[in-house]
Amino acid sequence: MYELIIIGGGPAGIAAGVYAARKKINALLVAKDFGGQSVTSADIQNWIGAKSVSGFELAKMLEEHLKHQEGIEVKEGVLVSKIEKIPAGFAVYAENGEAIEAKTILLAMGSRPKKLNIPGEEKYSGKGVFYCATCDAPLMKNKAVAVIGGGNSGFEAARDLLPYAEKIYILEYLEECKADAVTCTVVRAAGKEEEITSAAVKEIFGDAFVKGLKYEDRKTGETKELAVGGVFVEIGFTPNSESVKNLVELDKWGHVKVDHKTQKTSLEGAWAAGDLTDVLYKQNNIAAGDAIKAVLNIHDYLRK
Amino acid sequence: MVKIYSTTQCVYCQMAKEYFKSKNIAFEEYNVEQDERAAAEMVEKSQQMGVPVIDINGQIIIGFDKESINKALKDLA
Repeated sequence: MYELIIIGGGPAGIAAGVYAARKKINALLVAKDFGGQSVTSADIQNWIGAKSVSGFELAKMLEEHLKHQEGIEVKEGVLVSKIEKIPAGFAVYAENGEAIEAKTILLAMGSRPKKLNIPGEEKYSGKGVFYCATCDAPLMKNKAVAVIGGGNSGFEAARDLLPYAEKIYILEYLEECKADAVTCTVVRAAGKEEEITSAAVKEIFGDAFVKGLKYEDRKTGETKELAVGGVFVEIGFTPNSESVKNLVELDKWGHVKVDHKTQKTSLEGAWAAGDLTDVLYKQNNIAAGDAIKAVLNIHDYLRK
Repeated sequence: MVKIYSTTQCVYCQMAKEYFKSKNIAFEEYNVEQDERAAAEMVEKSQQMGVPVIDINGQIIIGFDKESINKALKDLA
């Protein structure tokens, strides 16, 4: 039985792994992959210590730093499906049904992109509906595309599309786009975008590939259509807390509630860090810091 | 024969290429951003537009799906 199982391979999980190893806690880190949500980012400029680093490079650095430590076991390529409380601690279940036990757990599963949950979204995923502009923008050469979401994610996706798309519609649910001024300026200067606010996207349609979408003008109630060959969904992120929803207290958005002094969850023996939690600011640097706080607190708990 | 259809910025494409290199597997790369013929071929083979698309002796894998890649490589051996 392990003293600690860390679940997640992003900055929070990795920071926890490095510290747990160095504190000689008998720990296991279980992750589907390494790097976290920013792995697809072409250029990260705010990871402290690096003027500029790609998400991919950061993921490699994190993985190498973790694997360089002695004494921590790493199970890669494994997705945790369920976590249960047992008398001695916790049972962590992998997708294949295998269970691993530990005295304490640190939840660092992060978040995933929110979906629209509208007709056509699933059907056209990869066939015109995309969630990663850096990956898929190049395939939009000379096409009209729609970016759903007028926040930073949306405007950054629009910016990534500028070299390729012929026309970019940005559809925002609320009355105004909330992206940072810096990004808005860059996107607007190119002259090929059109912002449609108070828009609720209702359906994505096409033949073998996406041909267009239908949206409701929330002010007038009218349904309108846009002919587009690509739809980039950038409406925010939702925490990966399904495996613990009956284990620890969540807030109304599904984030794991934590004591921000110790990173303890509502359940004794379970800590959490990173975007999975109800932390106010979701940042790689903060995720790492909070995970370290959690491990030091876990160390105190185990050694008392 | 292993073929990979990729774009310049795509992280999962880079991961796939590095994975092949780490296993000493030779592959042919087609940048669908620059090569329109390859782009059309990729869409035809995979019936979708996302990258990477990996063709291992006719078996088409979409995305950096290690499990499917390993399985296809075993069949190749």
